[in-house]
Amino acid sequence: MRLADVIVRGGHLSEQAIVAAVMTGDRPAHLDRCDLCAERAVELGRWLDGVKTTGLETADAAFSPERLAAQQSQIMRRLEQLDEPARVIAFPSQSQLRRESTGRRVAAGWLGVAAAAGLVLGVISGQMTARLGMHQAPAAAARTAPATQPAAAPVNAPADDVAQKTGPIDASLLDMDLDSLNVPSFAVIDSMTPRATQISLASNRTIK
Amino acid sequence: MSGASTDPPVTAREADARVAVDVKALQAAGRLEAARERFAELVTRHQRRAARIAFHYLRDAADADEAVQDAFIKAYMHLGTFREELPFEVWFTRILINGCLDRLKARRRRERWIAPPIIDASGNERDPGEYLPARGPSPEEEVLAGERREQLSAALAKLPERQRLVFVLSHFEGRSSREVSTMTGLNESTVRVHLFRAIRRLRALLASGAASKASNLRGRTNRAAR
Repeated sequence: MRLADVIVRGGHLSEQAIVAAVMTGDRPAHLDRCDLCAERAVELGRWLDGVKTTGLETADAAFSPERLAAQQSQIMRRLEQLDEPARVIAFPSQSQLRRESTGRRVAAGWLGVAAAAGLVLGVISGQMTARLGMHQAPAAAARTAPATQPAAAPVNAPADDVAQKTGPIDASLLDMDLDSLNVPSFAVIDSMTPRATQISLASNRTIK
Repeated sequence: MSGASTDPPVTAREADARVAVDVKALQAAGRLEAARERFAELVTRHQRRAARIAFHYLRDAADADEAVQDAFIKAYMHLGTFREELPFEVWFTRILINGCLDRLKARRRRERWIAPPIIDASGNERDPGEYLPARGPSPEEEVLAGERREQLSAALAKLPERQRLVFVLSHFEGRSSREVSTMTGLNESTVRVHLFRAIRRLRALLASGAASKASNLRGRTNRAAR
């Protein structure tokens, strides 16, 4: 008997001591003398037996004999796989590929020659195209020059500034492109818009 | 009869050790099929016990099933490291417990990110063990037994992991404190403390569960009387 049991519990066993007695089976001498503690131990023993029965029932209900049999066969299958891993089918070897395609195979040297020939042809044709382009370019530039030169000036710049920078402008040239356009839906707006020729004449008259 | 065998009875521990030694020898000799057949004896002998431990520890039948399978596979693979002076049962249970612990950790990580805890009306987290598949219709006794099982499962689920493990090994499996200490890697005195705390807490939980159930029943009876 521990001193704490004597002082605190009036000589009775602690709960821990009773648990130890029930679980280990080591029966303290006090249990033979004290009916109260013996009763507590018996009650605890009964409760533990009930819990054990219920606990085992719960587990056994979850693991029926069929389930255990299935589990065992699964374990043995996994062990078999572990000992004898599945055979890996080899990828077709290089020799087999060569044998199948010997009739159509092109020698590696010819491939290089063909590539070089293609490069040379490409360079030559590129050069020729560039030269032909250079011969044709001046003629085309001559044809388009008068039309493009006035258009280079900013459209919304004041007429005097343009005249000072680029010299006198033939205003009819400005109208030329616009007149060539004939969009029916813009006809009304076009009729309301004054012509550049008219503006130029009017401004010349004012200056004079 | 004079020709009768006079060999002393072989204990379960000795039988396990013999099988384990045989399997090791067969593995070394490359006779793998024979090794597997011999190992099947160990599986048969320890499977149910392993399933109970894993089930109570993990509180999920499918998880426990996988944990038991994995433990046997690991045991077979590492049988070379098994020392005969230690009971096979203890060595194997340690493998099983470590596997269960890994699964619990993985589950906790998963639950943290994916599954929110199930909260009941009173704000308590409910035990997933309550959602075990039903075992079909049964007579009244079976219903009552089912309720008892559910109560116990719920109470066990509320125990801290170590307390639960120590309680299951000590009480359900009848292991001594020393054996549980070897299986779990805890001190013997720690095992005893965990066991005592587990019993005290379980009693309190089951008593409060029974009290609340009785008060519910009383309330229902009173309402019916009115």
